[in-house]
Amino acid sequence: MASFWTLQLHPISIPHRVSTNAFELRPQLGFNKSYRIWNAKNKYKDFFLKAAGNSSTSGEDNPIKDEKFLIKSKRNVMLVLQNQVSRLQETIISLPPIILSIKSSPYSKLALGFCIAASVLIVAVRAYVARKPRYQRQGSVADLVRRGQLNSDRRGISKTPMYDDPFNNPLVKISKNNSSVEMCGKVYRLAPVTLTREEQNIHQKRRSRAYQWKRPTIFLKEGDPVPADVDPDTVRWIPANHPFATTISDITEDLAQNNVYQKHGVPFRIQAEHEALQKKLEALQGDQKFNNLVIDPGTARNFERPFKSNIKLDDQQVEHNSANGQTGLRPESQPKSHESSSNSTSEEKPTQ
Amino acid sequence: MTSLQLLTEPSSLSSSNFIPFNPLYKTLTKPTTKHYPKPSPIRSVLQYNRKPELAGDTPRVVVITSGKGGVGKTTTTANVGLSLARLGFSVVAIDADVGLRNLDLLLGLENRVNYTVVEVLNGDCRLDQALVRDKRWSNFELLCISKPRSKLPLGFGGKALVWLVDALKDRQEGCPDFILIDCPAGIDAGFITAITPANEAVLVTTPDITALRDADRVTGLLECDGIRDIKMIVNRVRTDLIRGEDMMSVLDVQEMLGLSLLGVIPEDSEVIRSTNRGFPLVLNKPPTLAGLAFEQAAWRLVEQDSMKAVMVEEEPKKRGFFSFFGG
Repeated sequence: MASFWTLQLHPISIPHRVSTNAFELRPQLGFNKSYRIWNAKNKYKDFFLKAAGNSSTSGEDNPIKDEKFLIKSKRNVMLVLQNQVSRLQETIISLPPIILSIKSSPYSKLALGFCIAASVLIVAVRAYVARKPRYQRQGSVADLVRRGQLNSDRRGISKTPMYDDPFNNPLVKISKNNSSVEMCGKVYRLAPVTLTREEQNIHQKRRSRAYQWKRPTIFLKEGDPVPADVDPDTVRWIPANHPFATTISDITEDLAQNNVYQKHGVPFRIQAEHEALQKKLEALQGDQKFNNLVIDPGTARNFERPFKSNIKLDDQQVEHNSANGQTGLRPESQPKSHESSSNSTSEEKPTQ
Repeated sequence: MTSLQLLTEPSSLSSSNFIPFNPLYKTLTKPTTKHYPKPSPIRSVLQYNRKPELAGDTPRVVVITSGKGGVGKTTTTANVGLSLARLGFSVVAIDADVGLRNLDLLLGLENRVNYTVVEVLNGDCRLDQALVRDKRWSNFELLCISKPRSKLPLGFGGKALVWLVDALKDRQEGCPDFILIDCPAGIDAGFITAITPANEAVLVTTPDITALRDADRVTGLLECDGIRDIKMIVNRVRTDLIRGEDMMSVLDVQEMLGLSLLGVIPEDSEVIRSTNRGFPLVLNKPPTLAGLAFEQAAWRLVEQDSMKAVMVEEEPKKRGFFSFFGG
């Protein structure tokens, strides 16, 4: 209330000469609070202008009268404002407070609860509706989770684990006297381990007597002769029809070791195949005396896998070559290419 | 389950002061006195980032084996391997099960295996191309020895795996801390190949006589081969059956084999579920009983520690006066 008073009284308290016309202006100001606040400036402008006009007409010879008028008008303004405030207070008091009105009627409680519930429901539905299309978007993280590409609990920045120490965490608790342990809500009785070092040694001796064994260092196919420098006890015989082990390998031991140790570059097999193809291509080009580097479609067919349709093509080529006078080369080169291609496929088979 | 020795060691003493950043823990451990220690932020950070101390020379080549099939070698390899990776160690898991490869399935990496050791030996690809890095924990890599339909050439014996270990040592990224080799069942050519480069072994067994006989035989073969550091994990333990004397207790198993214990894994239905999902148990949130046991086993493996106390039977949980009301 005090602030209200100060707000209203500040513009009035400016010392200006106010004529009696001010009282005529007063009803025009009205009692509406907002109107008074927002239009105060415009109203007082007119008021001061009129006041100034009155003073000019009344003349400067009677200043005492003016002073009396000023005091009176100030008092009147104060009274009018007090009346306004008191009327406002009365209207406020006349309105019952919300809480009291709710308390008074039991139905209003229900209505209020219903309103709150409805608003919560609306917010939840709105959030769900807004959320649903976001989750259905193709290629989103949620989509990846649904497709099983990502695990739902480890999305984005990984969370810190719940604990670091598996022996001391909220799920594992040891009793004070070390007689029981509580793990995942279940209490287990603990018993000390009684195995001693001597007992362990006794067991080791027993096993060394029971199991005489030398780890096989060489694997041989059944029927192969045992090498002279190899202990027969360290030979493991692998049957030819073993489901997943074979003694046959097309690469030497040194080569395999180098392959394992290779850190950079093209792997050995890939490079070897590439070089072999390159050489073959060059050889064919040399044989056919083609100096251009463009791959001839006729020679490129040699690298194709032998299809049934190739037989017809071969016949055509033979005819074509015989026409060119190269009949001596083609029948020899053609089977070779078939052999090499079949060899390469047979080599590739085990690796696939 | 947990080792009693840990509680008396200085490291465990420090771990007792370990305060994880977890509101649940705070509610469980209410301070008994009003005397608060001086704030030491650096220490608490170090406590939170506590790691097991790596014992032994790197790379530690560990073969996970058992005589009998179906006891949980591959499950153990996957879970222990990922636990080690979670603890911050670089791990290469080699699936040496030539005929029946399964480790890639358990890890959920089956679609990413393009090359295997067979291709590396033949020169079809380099070793770094055959290593499959796990996206969940980037310090975990998988290497399969062969594809199910191909045959492994055994002309070089187990030398191929020795070369592999040597090549992994000299990698540009650095030598891995652990090389875990998942060994096939039986004592066939695959077993011989798998154990060749190993320095230590983890024997997985279940508490039944068939598995124990095979485990004893395999332990004998490993000892003959010169692998002396052998620890065992007893898998699929059911305390309810032990209580009714229908199953051998872990202590009975230890008495029969005479091996130190690396871990005891209780029977848990979550194992099957995680296997089907291709999501190892130790990554489950919230952690399960078996997952916790695997993590503890991994911790002991790092520190070359063994269990000093074992869980024998389940006790009824002590209930309060208001337990009837859910208190």
